Amino acid sequence: MSKSKKRTSGRRAKAPRPAGRGWFGRVWRLALLLAGVALGLMLPWVLYLNHQVTTEFEGRKWDLPSRVYARALELYPGAAVSPGDLETELEISGYRKVDRVALPGQYRVAGGRFEIYRRAFVFPDGGQDAKHFSVALAGGKVSGLREVEGGAEISLARLDPAEIASIYPLAKEDRTLVRIQDAPPLLITGLQAVEDRNFKHHPGLDLRGIARAALVNLKAGRAVQGGSTLTQQLVKNFFLSHERTLWRKLNEAVMALLLEAHYDKAEILEAYLNEVFLGQQGAYAVHGFGRASQFYFDQPLERLQTPQVALLIGLVRGASYYNPRRHPERAKRRRNEVLAALEETGLLSAAQARSASAAPLGVTARPRARGSRYHAFVQLVRGQLSQVYREEDLKTEGLRIFTTLSPVDQEKAQAAVSAGLDDLAQRGLSPSLQGALVLADSSTGEILALVGDRYPNRAGFNRALHARRQVGSIIKPLVYLLALEHTTDYNLLTRIDDSPVSLRLPNGSDWTPANYDLKDHGEVSLLEALVHSYNQATVRLGLQLGANNLVNKLVQLGVTTDVAALPSVFLGAVELTPLEVTQIYQSLAAGGFSVPLRSVTAVQTTQGDELLRYPMRMLPQARREAISVLTYALTRVVTEGTARALPALLGETGPIAGKTGTTNDRRDSWFVGYTANRVAVTWVGEDDNRPAGVTGANAAMQLWAGLFRKLSIEPVDLRMPDGAFWLWVDAHSGKLTGEHCEAAVQMPFIDGSEPTEMTACLAENQDQNEKSFWKKLFEN
Amino acid sequence: MKNLFGKSCLKTRLHLTPAYWGKLRAGLLPAVFALVLLGLLAGCASGPGLPAPVEEREEVETRVRTPASQDSAGVQVFPLQNPAVRELLTGASTAESQGDLGQAAVLLERAMRIQPRDPEILQSMAEVQLQMKDYEQALNFAVRSYDSGPRVGEICSRNWRTIGVARDNLGDRSGSLEAQERARACMNTKPAGF
Repeated sequence: MSKSKKRTSGRRAKAPRPAGRGWFGRVWRLALLLAGVALGLMLPWVLYLNHQVTTEFEGRKWDLPSRVYARALELYPGAAVSPGDLETELEISGYRKVDRVALPGQYRVAGGRFEIYRRAFVFPDGGQDAKHFSVALAGGKVSGLREVEGGAEISLARLDPAEIASIYPLAKEDRTLVRIQDAPPLLITGLQAVEDRNFKHHPGLDLRGIARAALVNLKAGRAVQGGSTLTQQLVKNFFLSHERTLWRKLNEAVMALLLEAHYDKAEILEAYLNEVFLGQQGAYAVHGFGRASQFYFDQPLERLQTPQVALLIGLVRGASYYNPRRHPERAKRRRNEVLAALEETGLLSAAQARSASAAPLGVTARPRARGSRYHAFVQLVRGQLSQVYREEDLKTEGLRIFTTLSPVDQEKAQAAVSAGLDDLAQRGLSPSLQGALVLADSSTGEILALVGDRYPNRAGFNRALHARRQVGSIIKPLVYLLALEHTTDYNLLTRIDDSPVSLRLPNGSDWTPANYDLKDHGEVSLLEALVHSYNQATVRLGLQLGANNLVNKLVQLGVTTDVAALPSVFLGAVELTPLEVTQIYQSLAAGGFSVPLRSVTAVQTTQGDELLRYPMRMLPQARREAISVLTYALTRVVTEGTARALPALLGETGPIAGKTGTTNDRRDSWFVGYTANRVAVTWVGEDDNRPAGVTGANAAMQLWAGLFRKLSIEPVDLRMPDGAFWLWVDAHSGKLTGEHCEAAVQMPFIDGSEPTEMTACLAENQDQNEKSFWKKLFEN
Repeated sequence: MKNLFGKSCLKTRLHLTPAYWGKLRAGLLPAVFALVLLGLLAGCASGPGLPAPVEEREEVETRVRTPASQDSAGVQVFPLQNPAVRELLTGASTAESQGDLGQAAVLLERAMRIQPRDPEILQSMAEVQLQMKDYEQALNFAVRSYDSGPRVGEICSRNWRTIGVARDNLGDRSGSLEAQERARACMNTKPAGF
């Protein structure tokens, strides 16, 4: 309270004083006597109330939801950011578009240039000041960054992150905690002037206030004034009950007295600032001035101007009755009443009050969507944190949680899933089809977007995390990876038999997997078998390698679910979630440098002290060169295999690796694809697992393409690492050949797996090459 | 009777009640310890970085950076670096020299988000991990740096020297010797695999 210098006296200047001191004195004494008697007679009851109110008071201090932040957008020359992306990012981060940028949190767009006044923010790697700078964009990239004042070039500017969610206490409330010293002084003094002029002096109850109110009400013939002190109002807010019985009032009065006995005025007022009910956002109550300031003005409390402070004070009397969005006229009248009271008590000069009364309400048209819009991702965050925190702590400790979510990518991913599935319905597939999507950074394993429902804003079953579905052919690349690791036996050109195969299963039944096209393709190369996803060839290859080894491979790549080592595994009779599939493919996308997928990077206390850090951890796979060769094969799936429709959906992109997956009776559609910088998995199917008429290419791949069309893609890097290299080979015989020989194709080989025989054409050329080498040497 | 509800006779109790925020902070402290401990046990999270003991920093200087820079006389690879990455690397290097390895690692991760396969960033991370005594991660980052790097010159030598020190500390004596050989070879072998 030290900051509030002006203090209103307990007396009113204008309020009628209808009775003399004697009258007051009698009432006062009588009331105290009654209270004393009650306390004496009903000690247990008082003790009970005491326990209740103190528990509530102490407990409330802890009820701070954890704040969940998106990844912060790094702006630097060359960063892939389109104007649309930047605007979306700013909007989601609560920046306001204005004509003239004057304050942090504002931006302006003019002629392909953004002027941004970044807000200050405390990151896990330290605090960052507010900064006023401009961003030039060209060709989907940042082309320059400059300070607005002075025009100095900036090499890196990080925006403060969007707050994407709050993890709430069980009660449906939301608050932004305010410290008394941070609240505008006018709010502190104004509240007392309007609601409780004797706050500083009364013991929790203000009998004079009650009497005065009673008289005013009596005169008016209706309830115009309330006699409740701030303390009583606080108690009422604790036990939000609209019951207006005498018993209730009595309880409240006693609890108010008890509160005053336990805590000092500053503590009570601070609790009041954070507790009072000031509005309703859907199912969530808006409590406290900090939250209300965000809710009505989209601004932090300390930045509010006089008319805005007055409006909030006015709302205390009835947040729904004076709702400034629904009843602006009523709200304005109320605000101006408050302004008049502030003038009357000397808190505002006449001129200040006049100009404030003339100001518009300044309320935003719509409150910013509450933080729950990305709850599929937030569920993942909770999952990661639940290994360390109790759910209860997340909801009440006011933690600051830093995550990897890219709001821009998340918006694109949600649109890709929703629009993609709508589109499939238009093309005759069931409108009840569901979908899921996971997008991650290939190298860092950071999850950038996650969608678990075709209606992404619906909280419910999160398919990305929890739908365990057969994966079908998207497991096949691992069978071929195992083969490639055996360099003495296999390379991409090794021939394999694609004739029908029948197996006796442990339960005595026969299993005869057919090809999708129901044809036999005779002898094919490993490359062809993978590119066209032949079942018969894959099962034969798998049998040579062993189901155990495939299961081990899954474990090495981060699958923790138990998988039975049966031959049906070769064709994907394994149930995994989209997230697990993403983990497998992250390793492939990163060239064998596996990174456990992450959604959280750091956790801080409310004060910004670091609690936890989740550093990036890297686990290199053995035989990474085999992964690079496999990636090449998967780019061929896209250019000429089961995913050959993809390039037309994406336009010019450079190499992309991908694999489709379809399960029996077309129940599940999978697509997994990666580039050098992104890996994503999409799934489409029916929740009840009934046949859905979907294939990898006709459904999941469409969703995948819908997303990647909108992303900035770095094509797959087809340079081979140590231990693998490119060779020219004859497309038919698989023999080594020369670049200019007929049917020469380039193919990656792992050291030791390359063909040794040469075509006649190469043998001839080699003689010449040797000659020319010597010739060149001597000519130099 | 006024005193029954007034402040004065109950003032003593008020003194027992610390301020609103003080309590919040105090209550969180035990939680902080418990959580950090849990995190460490889980092996997936680390607490705030403590300054690295001097000997770890010396090890990186004497066994990795100095010899690598001596080796490289004549063979130098200067990749073009994004100014944003340069700024973050400078920050990381400052943090490292002040012994704030946690901060250095966070800045390097930021740089990695911008250029995930930059050999210089990966190698710097490997050297920070070496000082944090996380030899496994040091090894892994150095391997990735080598894989995506030029495989010749100073950075190649730093890659293999880091791998050598890490293997040494992980008890792989012969692997460490082999790495030292590879470090020397960085100066006279052509890059393979392109």
